[in-house]
Amino acid sequence: MLKPKQMSKVLLTGHKDVLEPTIETLHDLYTLHIEEYVGDDYFHIGTPLSGADEGSKKLLKLRSIASFLGIKKPYHKPISARQLSSELEGKLETLGDVISGKLGRKSQIEADLKDVQTEIHEIEAFSGIPVNLDLCRGYNTLHVFAGTVMKGADVRAGLTGITDEYQFITGNTGVFILTVPVKYREQVAELLAEYGFGEVKIPAISGTPDDLINELTSRQDSLAKDLESLSSEIDSVKAEYEDFILASEELLSIETQKKETPLVIATSEHTFVIDGWIPDDEFETMRSRVEEATDNRVYATIVEEPVDEANVPIEYDNPKIVKPMEAVMNLYARPKYHEIDPTTFVFIAFPLFYGMILGDIGYGLILLGISLYGRSKLHGDGWNSLFTVLIYCNIVTLIFGILYAEFLGFPLAGLHGHPGLIPGWETITLFAGLGGEHITYPIHRTHLVTTLLVLTLLIGVIHINIGLIAGFRNVLVKHGMKAAVLEKIAWIILQVGIFLLLFGVMGVVPSMLPGAAIFVLAVIMLVAGEGGTAIIEIPSVLSNILSYSRLLAVGLSSIGIATAVNIMSGMMFESGGLFIVVAVIIFILGHGLNTALSIIAPGLHALRLQYVEFFTKFYEGGGRIYNPFGYKRIYTEE
Amino acid sequence: MVIDIATAELDQILANQAGLVAIGAGLAVGLAGLGSGLAEKDIGSAAVGAFTEKEELFGKGLIMTVIPETIVIFGFVIAIMMLL
Repeated sequence: MLKPKQMSKVLLTGHKDVLEPTIETLHDLYTLHIEEYVGDDYFHIGTPLSGADEGSKKLLKLRSIASFLGIKKPYHKPISARQLSSELEGKLETLGDVISGKLGRKSQIEADLKDVQTEIHEIEAFSGIPVNLDLCRGYNTLHVFAGTVMKGADVRAGLTGITDEYQFITGNTGVFILTVPVKYREQVAELLAEYGFGEVKIPAISGTPDDLINELTSRQDSLAKDLESLSSEIDSVKAEYEDFILASEELLSIETQKKETPLVIATSEHTFVIDGWIPDDEFETMRSRVEEATDNRVYATIVEEPVDEANVPIEYDNPKIVKPMEAVMNLYARPKYHEIDPTTFVFIAFPLFYGMILGDIGYGLILLGISLYGRSKLHGDGWNSLFTVLIYCNIVTLIFGILYAEFLGFPLAGLHGHPGLIPGWETITLFAGLGGEHITYPIHRTHLVTTLLVLTLLIGVIHINIGLIAGFRNVLVKHGMKAAVLEKIAWIILQVGIFLLLFGVMGVVPSMLPGAAIFVLAVIMLVAGEGGTAIIEIPSVLSNILSYSRLLAVGLSSIGIATAVNIMSGMMFESGGLFIVVAVIIFILGHGLNTALSIIAPGLHALRLQYVEFFTKFYEGGGRIYNPFGYKRIYTEE
Repeated sequence: MVIDIATAELDQILANQAGLVAIGAGLAVGLAGLGSGLAEKDIGSAAVGAFTEKEELFGKGLIMTVIPETIVIFGFVIAIMMLL
């Protein structure tokens, strides 16, 4: 539980004839982490099994079809792999034919549509001009200008100074066609240039612009209709084949993965050697299964030579209830092989801290509802872990909520004559706390600040020292007793020294001498263990412990926001009339905001206490990910 | 008459003291918050830069970014202790 799974380095060797059944068996077992072979003198990297090419071609085809149809990955009921593989060939063929025809038609229609749109765009400039566009070109004695001039420029008036042999027609868009004899061409061009002439190309088409536009628009409509009907045909193909595509993509991926396995293992002319890691308790199963599948023609053995810790792939070994916390660990780093795996510590401390900070029945219920709903709706490992962690956190929040008797910032029990939400429930004073405060049930956090502050610091001391003890064990395994005492136990002694000194100052113990002596001893041990830099780190003990005061402070700020919202909406509510609506809006928006903050603030602060204050005492992390050879089936089943 | 003025002055002095404590508490949170902000802005921008290049660094970047948050927590605790 506190250690990663114990791994063995294994070798499997046999004749190449039995490579295929070996791969098949290992793939089914899904337990062997294969070490990629990088090649040396005698062995060489294997070649893919027969049929690998064909498989990857099919896979490529299937994936291009899937991307054409726009198939995303929904959550599905798995279908039988055996049945699928028998009909895969034929169905893929049909699907390919159906799709390739539609694909061609679709791109043809899209191209046509684009052409029509361009033509319409070109001709539209001339709309309203009642001239066949054919008549606007091909003259020897006439020159045709087509285009626009600046607003307000009078072309006709300008032309009177040059000639009156011209024809000038304007359309709806301000584009004009001007025809003049060739001999005036230069003069007219100069005149038009003065008016800011912008030429518009006359489309090489026969017919009057308006007729052409009508014709093209109706063609555009019919093309759009074709495209639409084709799209719906494609959609129906998609609906029909979606399951098949997803499942066969998975099936082919598995096939290809198996067939390409020789690329990562060592082979000689007649033999193969597979090198990898397997959890200790899986080895016997693997050996017997492989031997069974190959008539004892494969030899599997555990390599007993000492291995480098850094090379061992790490698989967590936690009870099912703790598993979701592994996501929180992965966010930081996977443990190393000989290290303590702190997932269980985090499983206890993270929800505890979260609940202590939030501690409100209202927010706890809202967030519990959200996370239960989210877990039922969103699938996938990441979401599942996230929501499960949130559920743990909010169960603890509810427990603390009952302890604090808070509901959306309102106290449930009355105190000092102020009534709570539940009439008749009065706070009971239990015994005296620190600084003249009284510990009560329910606990009113705002009235018990000094006591709770000391309590949080005490939690900090406990948490940090658990970390130091774990660190002691880690260093003990790696560097021996002397280093472990000097590097970890010295910090614990240092804390004892600091507390004795503090008690001396406060007068709880008569002399400061023992505290000072222990402090100096601890400093000497630290310098001996970690070198002079340890002196710089001494204040960090204090700041780390004080950091746990956030368990109270973040909670108080959350109460502050909630109370502010309640007071504001309460004042509005008392004004009556339309203000009641405003009061409700303030209440909902304010508590909505505070609910969102209630995931972020307690979550981040509880997480940070794990990562920064706790992990730095013992945890290195950085282990390799255990990635067994196999495939996690989603859409198919054997 | 004299007694009235004396009471009034005492009330005034007490009110002034309460006001000064409130200002002190405000300064404790506000200045500590500024300190946290100043520290976090540099770390935060560096963290965003790091995890756009390598997404696995998100967790570590987040942690690094919230480290200076402690400063404002201390300020907040001091403020609450002053007000009580």
